[in-house]
Amino acid sequence: MFFLKMAFKNLTRHKRRTIITALIIAFAILIYVITEGLMIGMTEMSFDNIINLESGHLQVADQNYWEDRKELQLKNLITPAAEIENKISQTDGFEALTRRLNFAVNLNNGIDELPVTGVGINLETDSRVFELDQHLVEGRMPEAGSTEIIMGAKLAELMDFQLGDYAIMLIRTEEKTFNTIDGEIVGLFNTPHPSLNESNVFLPLSTVQERLNVEDKISHYVVRLNDQDLASNAAEELSSRLSAPYQAYSWRDAARSLVTMLEMQDIETQIILAIILTLAAVGIVNTVILSALERMEELGMMKALGMHEREIVYTFMGEAAGIGLIGGVMGVIMGIIGLAIFNINGIDMATMTGGGDMTYGFPLSGTIYAGWELESFIFVFVYGVVVSVLASVLPALWAARKDPVKAIYHR
Amino acid sequence: MSLIKLTGLEKIYQQGKIEVPALRGIDMEIESGEFTTIFGPSGSGKTTLLNMIGCLDKSTAGEIVFDGHSINDLNSKELAEVRRYNLGFVFQSYNLIPVLTAFENVEFAIRLIDKHSKKERRDKVMSLLEEVGLGDMADRRPNELSGGQKQRVAIARALIKEPKLVLADEPTANLDSETSKEVLELMKEMNEELNTTFIFSTHDPQVMDYARRLIEIKDGKISKDQRRD
Repeated sequence: MFFLKMAFKNLTRHKRRTIITALIIAFAILIYVITEGLMIGMTEMSFDNIINLESGHLQVADQNYWEDRKELQLKNLITPAAEIENKISQTDGFEALTRRLNFAVNLNNGIDELPVTGVGINLETDSRVFELDQHLVEGRMPEAGSTEIIMGAKLAELMDFQLGDYAIMLIRTEEKTFNTIDGEIVGLFNTPHPSLNESNVFLPLSTVQERLNVEDKISHYVVRLNDQDLASNAAEELSSRLSAPYQAYSWRDAARSLVTMLEMQDIETQIILAIILTLAAVGIVNTVILSALERMEELGMMKALGMHEREIVYTFMGEAAGIGLIGGVMGVIMGIIGLAIFNINGIDMATMTGGGDMTYGFPLSGTIYAGWELESFIFVFVYGVVVSVLASVLPALWAARKDPVKAIYHR
Repeated sequence: MSLIKLTGLEKIYQQGKIEVPALRGIDMEIESGEFTTIFGPSGSGKTTLLNMIGCLDKSTAGEIVFDGHSINDLNSKELAEVRRYNLGFVFQSYNLIPVLTAFENVEFAIRLIDKHSKKERRDKVMSLLEEVGLGDMADRRPNELSGGQKQRVAIARALIKEPKLVLADEPTANLDSETSKEVLELMKEMNEELNTTFIFSTHDPQVMDYARRLIEIKDGKISKDQRRD
């Protein structure tokens, strides 16, 4: 305790130096906390967007369809049956169910053609699972049984469509014959999910089934639960009750690539933290060396009094821990303030991506609000102190191993 | 039995390719309770000799026996142990820790041997500070003390663990003559009261006046060894 007390008192010798070194650590912690906070915010918003606009909490599909689902082929579709729907509705946390049919569309405005994803939606039940209707910026939802369509305002702008225009949709039926739907654009939406805005058209399910000649088949069921955390277990449990080839998939399965990307981002954040704290560690090394050089005669005296190298090293490590603690506290306070600002005001995604429309694969746009986790603060605080202490070991050893005579006479 | 016995002690420093002999065969014995001054011109080898006796430096040849044990073959950790329990040091420039109070500077030395309770430690430190005339300045930091007061703290620090030997390297070099006298009186008093052995290195005639034994070093050899009653 005495050595620790002395170490902490030593921090008062050069207050400005102590504060500057601690500030470097605080800065590293601030950057980490903000980056991590924005990552948490982006992750939560991305997951919300995927759940609310793309995948729901669970999807039930033929497992053969699921594997090739991005190809939008009309193979391995499901014929809706009360038995399946009953099983789905018995799922723990079940709230709502809707049917969807995804298909490939070539969207034509008379001049240009663009491949997009068509989605046949059950207009009675879709809004119980998805929030698409809440993001209409113009017009209304289509009427059941009609050829009315809605699309992203961004896609409409790209294809030069206005509300009330007719879009020609070239489709291929199950028998590989071509067919068209002349869809009247009755609504434009602008969701926080960029790819939905740019490459999806939605129209009544019955119309789609008729034009694709698939009878009443659908590509998948989508389920809403009352808690997203139930999804993985619910998918597993439901799959065990469904007969082959049907299987339930959680939103995490649907967003597998995003989850992987977020994990990579997390590693990236850790690497950034490691780099910044390494720079901070250089500051600690510098401080310990300077302190040792300034206190050489004292070190000599300590050795003359019989202080062991280990005890001298502990004293310097105690000082470094003190700097780490001060930096940690400052960093956490600065981090809380920074996060509060980003949590209340948010940050425009465009600012982060240099003003462009790039989303770097994240299914989100608009303003991102930072999230926070207590664990992040604890982790980075402890990490900062540990890095400070570890950085001090080598210079402290160098100081402790000084020849006592040379140290006393500062030779 | 002598407290210190030096036999054929030699120390050669290597300066590049040149060998510089600092001690050239010192034979000497110091008894417990002696108040000895080692004097001689600058570069004569006084400080080197003091460092050897103080287990701070290793000899090139010869033997040092401290309290009946040869210290020649001890490693740096074992030498630190000898210093920790048996030796006290007083330096020319005091070498106090500026962030600690006078009390804490003295306490620091006794903390290293850690055999006292907190209360015992406190009482011991305060009693010694009072003995050196600094009882009312225990809470002052070194920058709030005069040179003489700092050296008194350093003496208290050297004596607090009741060492067998106190080595003082030019302890009055940074003090005026009046303060030097006070400090020397104090050390002599401690020597008589506690029977602690004191060895000084100096070229201050005032210090020599206080010594009961004078050892003169010239060119790394003892040129005179005189005892006074």
